[in-house]
Amino acid sequence: MTVFDFKSLDSQAKVIIGRYEEPRAAMLPLLWLVQERAGFIPPEGEAWVSQKLGVAISHVREVVSFYTMFRTKPAGKHHLQLCMSLPCLLKGSGGVLAQLTERLGIGAGETTLDGKVTLSTVECLCACESAPMAQVNERYVGPLDAKSLPEVFRHLLEEPHTPARFDEYSSFHVSTGGPVLSKRFKNAEGTWFDAYAADGGYEAARKALTSMTPAQVTEEISRSNLRGLGGAGFPTGKKWGFIPKASSKPVFLVVNADEGEPGTFKDRYLLERDPHALLEGMIIAAYAIGSHKAYVYIRGEYFRPAARFAKAVEEAYARGWLGKKIQGTGFDLEVVIHRGAGAYICGEETALLSSLEGGKGYPKLKPPFPAISGLFKCPTIVNNVETLSCVPPIIRQGAAWFAGLGTAKQGGSRLFSLSGHAARPGLYEAPVTVTLRDLIMNQAGGVRQGRKLKAVIPGGISAKVLTADEIDVAMDFDSLAERGTMAGSAGVIVMDETTCMVEALASAARFFADESCGQCSPCREGTGWILKVMNRIRRGEGRDGDLEALLSAASRMEGKTICVFADAAAWPVVSYITKFRSEFEHHVKTGTCDLKREPSHAHADH
Amino acid sequence: MPTLTIDGKPVTVPEGTTVIQAAEKLGIFVPRYCYHPGLSVAGNCRICLVEVAKSPKLQIACNTPAAEGMVVLTRGAKVEEGRQAVLEFLLINHPLDCPVCDQSGECDLQNFYMTYGLYDPRFKEQKVKKAKAVAIGPKVMLDAERCILCSRCVRFTDEVTKTGEFGIFNRGDRSQIGLYPGKTLDNPYSGNVVDICPVGALTDRDFRFKARVWYLSTAPSVCGGCSRGCNVDLHYVLDRPHLAQGARVMRLKPRFNPDVNRWWMCDEGRYGYKFMDQKRLTRVTHRGSESTWEEALTALAGWLARAREEGRLDQVGVIPSARLTTEELFLIRKLFQEALGLKNCLLDLPPKDGTSDGFLIQADKNPNTMGAALLDLSPSPQPSPIKGEGGGAGDGLSILQKALDGQLKALWIFGHDLVGLLGEEKTAQLAKQLELLVYQGSNENPTARHAHWVLPGAVYVEKDGTFVNCQGRVQRVGKAFKPLPGARPEAEFLVELAKRLEIQVQGRTPEELFAWLAREVPAFAGLTYEKLGWQGMAVNLSSSSRKRGSPIESGMTNP
Repeated sequence: MTVFDFKSLDSQAKVIIGRYEEPRAAMLPLLWLVQERAGFIPPEGEAWVSQKLGVAISHVREVVSFYTMFRTKPAGKHHLQLCMSLPCLLKGSGGVLAQLTERLGIGAGETTLDGKVTLSTVECLCACESAPMAQVNERYVGPLDAKSLPEVFRHLLEEPHTPARFDEYSSFHVSTGGPVLSKRFKNAEGTWFDAYAADGGYEAARKALTSMTPAQVTEEISRSNLRGLGGAGFPTGKKWGFIPKASSKPVFLVVNADEGEPGTFKDRYLLERDPHALLEGMIIAAYAIGSHKAYVYIRGEYFRPAARFAKAVEEAYARGWLGKKIQGTGFDLEVVIHRGAGAYICGEETALLSSLEGGKGYPKLKPPFPAISGLFKCPTIVNNVETLSCVPPIIRQGAAWFAGLGTAKQGGSRLFSLSGHAARPGLYEAPVTVTLRDLIMNQAGGVRQGRKLKAVIPGGISAKVLTADEIDVAMDFDSLAERGTMAGSAGVIVMDETTCMVEALASAARFFADESCGQCSPCREGTGWILKVMNRIRRGEGRDGDLEALLSAASRMEGKTICVFADAAAWPVVSYITKFRSEFEHHVKTGTCDLKREPSHAHADH
Repeated sequence: MPTLTIDGKPVTVPEGTTVIQAAEKLGIFVPRYCYHPGLSVAGNCRICLVEVAKSPKLQIACNTPAAEGMVVLTRGAKVEEGRQAVLEFLLINHPLDCPVCDQSGECDLQNFYMTYGLYDPRFKEQKVKKAKAVAIGPKVMLDAERCILCSRCVRFTDEVTKTGEFGIFNRGDRSQIGLYPGKTLDNPYSGNVVDICPVGALTDRDFRFKARVWYLSTAPSVCGGCSRGCNVDLHYVLDRPHLAQGARVMRLKPRFNPDVNRWWMCDEGRYGYKFMDQKRLTRVTHRGSESTWEEALTALAGWLARAREEGRLDQVGVIPSARLTTEELFLIRKLFQEALGLKNCLLDLPPKDGTSDGFLIQADKNPNTMGAALLDLSPSPQPSPIKGEGGGAGDGLSILQKALDGQLKALWIFGHDLVGLLGEEKTAQLAKQLELLVYQGSNENPTARHAHWVLPGAVYVEKDGTFVNCQGRVQRVGKAFKPLPGARPEAEFLVELAKRLEIQVQGRTPEELFAWLAREVPAFAGLTYEKLGWQGMAVNLSSSSRKRGSPIESGMTNP
């Protein structure tokens, strides 16, 4: 059976391959092209990609099988992917799944007989402000509540009805007042070149390119105390300084837009609403590190953010802010947008590089470090979207101003993603000195329906959980580290008194088991082990010794792997069980949960 | 050249050395699954964790560069706890089917569990199910459940054979080793993946269930399958005749030699051992009837003595073989060429030819063409053993042609198959017109059926000696066990023959013959078995009387 004549794509393939230093790097784009045209990736498509790239077909299959968005079977006309990660689970995605299953007559992973709808469950789509949510083909929909679900069903089953976009009827909050990142978030349709320029946009890049040396730019960033806002918190200026001074190889700037930490959705807003801020930050960063080529790795599920950012790139080329001799200076910069395909681990910087090079998202061994030997074995700086978006305001308004917003060790503000049981979830910009209590209780209006706060995850699902008594802490990296947790991606997940901690941990366990790349044995095996035990406890089949086994497995995973994913998978286990021990013991002993739960917050069966 | 301390012992190593290599230099073994010196570093198994002073976390020895002043501990509570943890993770989804696993006894999961594990297992969940006993190629069987995903086989087919058959599909604990659907692992080096698989995931279809490895004895040897002379270990069993229909040789395994084959060998050589036990000649026969060595000796010595007296030794042809050891070839030269003065004693039959692959496999399927050339037993100006092309081709068949033309009355053939060259009819005619047709060799072939005298010889692992490989490297083949009852090493018989003909020989054993050879042939000057050891040495080609030039490193392009 000929599914599609892939030869007809040869000329397109040539153009795509030409964007990269090595043909193999075109792996994901070519597979995307195959899937786009054929509807899935058939063996003929794998063979075509293998031949185009000169890569063994076994390695093409490795990649296809690694990323969740690549399909080896045709999907229905509408592919509904329901998010089952913790923030959505807290808002009732279990109940939504039950409704979907009942109404569509299919389970997760199945397609309706008429081929109209495929239903899948997925991990965090990073739109937790509108939880519970889903992705229908390329579009996000949510919150999936009594109001929107009928619309979704009409769309799925009675086309051509198109549902409203989720953010048009939701009551979540989006900061628009700055001081650093959110000033141009007012327009949900995006801030485009003219508006950006009118707001002082590209002044910082002009200043850097025309009146500062690269070393001065790096110095300014160092003095601003800007830290890596992807989650690791490494000082940005220091990182840039690792690039060898006289490199005979090209230097690459890689933007990490592979947002995926459950409970985090800040980069999506930056890409959608203020893409030029990121671009300007990239120009300045590239200038500082001597790079003339930047790759922007955007997570596969982010169709609209990627399209918006691509539009900004086009505008920037048209206005002479990208390409050769930017604004008449001697500085050149090319920007290539690269799309992920569904793998959380690709947010880890070396996994991102492996993925960008056309492989599975396997983190790389260090040494060598990316600054010495990164993308295509060349010096590479990987920076997060939010980090780079802070760069233009720093150059424009000065390091002192930015540093002054924060603590002695971390300057500026952050975009805090508030989700879960916050009364008003959303994206909140605040100086990093803001306390967790202030964020939740004042800015986000406290806990929903006046309920009692039970626990908070302060920095994405990997961070150790805090109890209601532990929220008087500033949100900078160092203060949270002192409390034994982390600022991470600033994804704040709020859990009220109705939350079953066993359920919450099981959700985290499933996430980590699904997303472990499988490279290192402790993580590959440990995440699966923890999930199996957690699922057993959830089902009421806990056994004596389970909690000890969980704690031991978790602690034995820590610090033994190539990247810190295993550590991130271990921390929730240790913190949940330690801080909510009696609740876990009760589950193990009695096999039941004593919490009064809302119907929508059933113990999801998945 | 950083100096570091490992377990309290200082060691100085070249820049770029890793801790696992530095430890090895001190004789300290650090356990490993994914690390293999012949492959790139993957760092995924995590069993080689060591403690490095000032590093809060344990580090993997395989990817930690040795640094000046570094202090490393490969043992101690922290390291041992770490290794034990890694082992526990590696084993939770392992099927623990050791009783039915062919790797038992040479499995690093078993070995390391006994050395570093010994914990009480706590995993009580359902294990991940994967495919078992899948024949992924003519030589290799895959059990995906036993795989620990170390990726050695993936790296082997990517980096060494560059054939890229293997992949690790999916992710997390669903990760699974395999081939692309419909593909077969059939590259010429596929057997090596069995050697490098540290567990029972990839087993050898040829060896599987033939013998438990703890019954195997090992002898170092050299593969006789082509002129490369890959170093091997011969694994054999002598006391279990119920195994493998009484065969002694169970398998060959490549033995590391940095100058010849590194860690590898080809499938053709690996599985080409069966002739050692099968279709062997074990009875002296004279015109089809069973005879004895004594009768043969008397008859052949008598015939040659008469020919010598009658001055018709020019009617005798001897065709030695490039499959004989250098010592045997030397004896043939001393006896037939020099003492008896035979003009027709040359190795001039076309070799069993193949193609060379630029890596290990050589076109010349004879292991000792170079040895024959160095002893002037190949016709001039061919062959060109230096180039590794088919040795002994010469002008081809000159002696045989003389025999067919009736110029020769006697022909002594070592191991060659005349029927294959001439056809059944011509061979029969030749046998009829010759007064004497001797076939001396280890294995049955159609020529043996036509020969007047059949003298059962020994295979090389039954007799010791040396081969000179295509690079000009002299390597001992070793004697693993004695010849099958009835068979005799060729040299032993030739020494007896010389004695009957009152020709002086300076030695009887292969080692004595080699010493004699070293005294007489400049290329071998100064070499002894002791000096050769088990890795061999290069012959001195510049001192060769034939001035063949220096050997070219043919084909060691392996990274």
